[in-house]
Amino acid sequence: MPPFQGQRVLAICLFAAGLMWVDQNYTVFQSLRYVVGYVLYPAQQVSLLPSTITLWMEESTAARQQLMDENVQLRARNLVLEQKAQRLASLETENIELRELLSASEQIDDRVLVTSVTAVDPDPYSKQVLINKGGEDGVFLGQPVLDAFGLLGQVVDVLPHSSRVLMIADSNHAIPVQVNRNGVRAIAAGTGALDRIELIYVPNTADIQLGDLLVSSGLGGRYPKGYPVGVVAEVEHKSGAMFARVSATPSARLDRSRHLLLVFSQGSGQVPSEEIWRYKK
Amino acid sequence: MTLQQFVLGACAFFVAFVFEHLPMPDLLSWLQPQWALLAVTLLVLNAPKVYGLWLAVPAGLMMDAEAGSLLGLHVITFSIHIFLVQLFIRRLDGFNLVQQMLMVLILALAHQLALFWVSQMMQAYPKPIDIWGPALTSMLVWPWVYAITQLTIRKLLS
Repeated sequence: MPPFQGQRVLAICLFAAGLMWVDQNYTVFQSLRYVVGYVLYPAQQVSLLPSTITLWMEESTAARQQLMDENVQLRARNLVLEQKAQRLASLETENIELRELLSASEQIDDRVLVTSVTAVDPDPYSKQVLINKGGEDGVFLGQPVLDAFGLLGQVVDVLPHSSRVLMIADSNHAIPVQVNRNGVRAIAAGTGALDRIELIYVPNTADIQLGDLLVSSGLGGRYPKGYPVGVVAEVEHKSGAMFARVSATPSARLDRSRHLLLVFSQGSGQVPSEEIWRYKK
Repeated sequence: MTLQQFVLGACAFFVAFVFEHLPMPDLLSWLQPQWALLAVTLLVLNAPKVYGLWLAVPAGLMMDAEAGSLLGLHVITFSIHIFLVQLFIRRLDGFNLVQQMLMVLILALAHQLALFWVSQMMQAYPKPIDIWGPALTSMLVWPWVYAITQLTIRKLLS
């Protein structure tokens, strides 16, 4: 062993601890992570090769009958959707008119980017997935992610060609929601289980019932307003306890969805300016 | 460092990170061996003059980007690991296979324990039982990766 090895270990550890502290509190080293992402990219592509190949094989060898069936189904579905879209156009104009009456200038249609899940984080402590769009595609930190059924989570790490999405069920995640029926506000925190989120600090008297739809309230400034988050599955009032225990099932299929939508909406992903939320003495 | 040693090291890390990134079913993800840690161990063991403590910084940063942890977390755990490997390097060379495997188990467990402590400090409430899976599988794959490395080196030197 070379001399002074113990001291060197200590020096490296101190340096790394400093790095961790800076990384947690500031975003200076985001670019370093980005560069390391470029280095890792070839290895990650190679590791996904088997699944890419099977997917390609499946796509290119689908039976003719199967394709025809699918075509018929899609055509029928398309018809239904077109009929709905016709109604949507009139509803949208009506909505704009009503909004103008309220003098609110909110964007109705959010721009989205379709992405697919490439891997699920093997770390059992966190509920995260990796997607195949990254900084080169305009993905940004804190960007909301949806699937076809509801809000799924937010981007927490951006690499050049892939990103990491923290799901709403992660125990480190919370999202401001409101009950769609009556507008009662609450905070939905993840539990670490994919099929359950919990409403925290709900007063015992709050009007929340079984089957209520929870939608994002947009109050944190991170998520856009009005997307479904979950459906209330259990309400428990304990006498003597300060708060009711309310848990909900996430609307998004956290463990099944393969194709996700990245939302570029006005105001989402931007933390409000510091003078608003910083406590002033 | 010769070019050959550099290329071998880069290849080792390439393979290790391919395996690290391999999509695993949910049940097996608890048992994924610590491939990057094994690569570090093998490099330090086989070329102690070339691959020393400095290896912890690039390898740790790559592992942090791969795992999405705070930058520097794996630098700490890898530097401690390399220090321990250097401490036991003579003994590891003389050990037979079973003794080596037990040594790898202990080192991998120590690494997992360090990660566990740090993630507990960051309030991610992991269960202590989870640190055993990766350590045990790392021990079980050790004979194979060790044999492959020895064969590669012998082939290149002959």
